[in-house]
Amino acid sequence: MAPPPATTARAVVNALPRATASPQCTRFTRLLSTARIAQAKRPSAPRPSSFQSPPCQPLVQRRFKFKTVEEAKSRYRSGPFSWKAGLLFVITAAGLVWYFESEKERMRRKRIAESTKGVGKPKVGGPFELIDQYGNKVSDQDLKGRYSLVYFGFTHCPDICPEELDKMARMFDLVEAQRPGALTPVFVTCDPARDGPKELKEYLVEFHPKFVGLTGTYEQIKAMCKAYRVYFSTPSDVKPGQDYLVDHSIYFYLMDPEGDFVEALGRQHSPEQGAKVILDHMKDWKGVLKTS
Amino acid sequence: MGLLPGFLSTAPKSEAEKRADEVRTGAVAPTRAERARCWAARDAFYACLDAHGIVDTLNSEGRAAAARACPAEGAAFERDCAAQWVTYFKKWRVQDIQKKARLKELEAQGATRMDVQTDFTPRR
Repeated sequence: MAPPPATTARAVVNALPRATASPQCTRFTRLLSTARIAQAKRPSAPRPSSFQSPPCQPLVQRRFKFKTVEEAKSRYRSGPFSWKAGLLFVITAAGLVWYFESEKERMRRKRIAESTKGVGKPKVGGPFELIDQYGNKVSDQDLKGRYSLVYFGFTHCPDICPEELDKMARMFDLVEAQRPGALTPVFVTCDPARDGPKELKEYLVEFHPKFVGLTGTYEQIKAMCKAYRVYFSTPSDVKPGQDYLVDHSIYFYLMDPEGDFVEALGRQHSPEQGAKVILDHMKDWKGVLKTS
Repeated sequence: MGLLPGFLSTAPKSEAEKRADEVRTGAVAPTRAERARCWAARDAFYACLDAHGIVDTLNSEGRAAAARACPAEGAAFERDCAAQWVTYFKKWRVQDIQKKARLKELEAQGATRMDVQTDFTPRR
């Protein structure tokens, strides 16, 4: 009289842990031991101990993994996922996303900075020797070791320059708050005939006391504008006392501590955006950066 | 007073008047306060021109129309700004209005707007 198939299956399942625990284990070790004997005939390097005799874990032990029946049940209901695993997954994913995004941004900035340094590209900036608003000589060497933000303009400028200089002052303050002394704000006049040190001093002090105003002879300024690829047009044949306006480029030139051009900031940048661009480039700078 | 310029202009001028004269002729660069005054006068002049639908004040008819419609604003504009700036701002007005009209036209054709600024209000 054979029992119905369902009950036989259950009987087998119930019997399995206890029945297989010891016989299977002994059979297994015997099998290994014969292999060991066979191998022992040839000289060979000693095997790692874990291979020689795998510890025979009695399957019964698994039954005590959970303290209560409820615990075991809940474990089976939720599967291998727990809130800990989920949290770990989310944190790892967030971390990876953040890392890739920041790396991408860094590479983009690096590309901008590098693209202006390459061979065969027009070099912006270069050596110069001008005088500041206090009458002191200032050369490109004095600007090295710090980032500098160079702006070209003139004191008789009707609208753009004063606005941009106010923006520059704000940008400088924002950068200064985080990296004191790491940035030199420089204003170069395109109108050397009328903007001497005295005029520059009176003009710039209304924007920011730390602005460095540069002027020089017409030839020096012309060379400076050429080096920075700045377009400017001081009208020729100006009679003494005649008023005129100067047409010029209105970009801020961000220069790195070695005097290389990094990026141009324009009218489209708000002071906060501009300051962020500058601070991000400073973060990327690997060399020495002077402070205060 | 204005009818006897030759007689009255010989009278000694005050410091403020002398300074204003220097700013007008472009002998000195205006200070921040002087710039602000000029810009305010300019904006008032522009507002008056806008109200009367006048764009170009550099050609003869535009100048006549502006003199008829906004005499006070025009005079204040020329008093508070350097002569060069007056010309510059008048030109700028024409160009800016043309630019805005062109941008509107392009946008109507489905062009994508770029982030550029065409007015004088500084960004904060």
